[in-house]
Amino acid sequence: MISLERYPREITLRDGARLTLRPMVPEDADRLWDFFRRIPPEDKMFFREDVSRKEVVERWAEHLDYDSVLPILALEGDRVVGDATLHRNKTGWKQRVGTVRVQIAPDFRKRGLGMSMIREMRHLGEKAALHYLLAEAIEEQQPAIRAFEKMGFVHAVVYRNFVNDQKGALHNLVVLLYHMTYSEEEMSF
Amino acid sequence: MNHSAWYNVPAWVRYNFTMPLSRMTCPACGADLAYDSHQAEKGPDGKEMCPYLGRPYSKLRAAHDLIYFGKWRKMDATTTDIRRAYHQIGRHLKAIGEVLGTKDLPAARRDLGKAVEAFQAGDPEGESPDSLRFMDHALSYAHTAIDDLLHEEGLPPHDPMEFSKWYDAVEVPFKEEW
Repeated sequence: MISLERYPREITLRDGARLTLRPMVPEDADRLWDFFRRIPPEDKMFFREDVSRKEVVERWAEHLDYDSVLPILALEGDRVVGDATLHRNKTGWKQRVGTVRVQIAPDFRKRGLGMSMIREMRHLGEKAALHYLLAEAIEEQQPAIRAFEKMGFVHAVVYRNFVNDQKGALHNLVVLLYHMTYSEEEMSF
Repeated sequence: MNHSAWYNVPAWVRYNFTMPLSRMTCPACGADLAYDSHQAEKGPDGKEMCPYLGRPYSKLRAAHDLIYFGKWRKMDATTTDIRRAYHQIGRHLKAIGEVLGTKDLPAARRDLGKAVEAFQAGDPEGESPDSLRFMDHALSYAHTAIDDLLHEEGLPPHDPMEFSKWYDAVEVPFKEEW
């Protein structure tokens, strides 16, 4: 169980915009659906589920289980402008691996919010005692890939023509890993 | 205050010549600044105000920027410039480590760990291009660790370009795309 005492917390972006970060609650379903409606179609092509269907988002909101999927929302006032999720397996061989997914509203890109959300995911990953964080991106999503790299994620593998968009075209999938295990010796300066 | 580096006079002067930059070391944060005194903000006492004044982690920011805009990154850098920068990076990493020692921020400690790793891979005597690359990596990870500290307090990341006019700066492009 990750402690969520740090939420809600305020952050300030480079341009002075003030946002609130907090875990998603069931009452956020409409806000989150509105957020996904504003995501450009070319980005939505790579989503795992059809978030243009409101029932999909409502289902997420109804079945929130922070120990499996912890969604952290970035809000400007009442509007969701960013969504980062930490996916975990409670048991089994991948229980020390967390998967990170981040989506940013188009008008909040290139403002440092993506980096802030990745920082938040790293913090939560540490608190969950994970050994690795894993992020996946389509090779065309270079700004996102560079943001993950800047936060210490490294290319683990690129799968060629591995995933298809909603129109059926194939794309390369980049898998990035952030290694969290360390020894006390490594951490002493 | 002394004068060493030079700057182009403002356009309104209608002459094209250079003037020496003013220099100041901030007694509070230790920032070593070189600036155009006409453009510097002045305090109530008429003296130039350190741009880091009142900002969280001002010492770390100032130390970072001094290295970031340092002569070692210029084309005409000497071995002495590089050696000096190497030791500045070492002291900077130690200072960050001291601050992080009082915080429960494992991700930031990890960033600092990577900075130390890159720093130790560098060799200021070797004159190899790899040495400069490792120093650059060390400074970059140090910057990330400072941003981790700022993020934890809900503050925006440190942008060295915001302070570039206070240094005899080399153009260093920085772009955050996401």
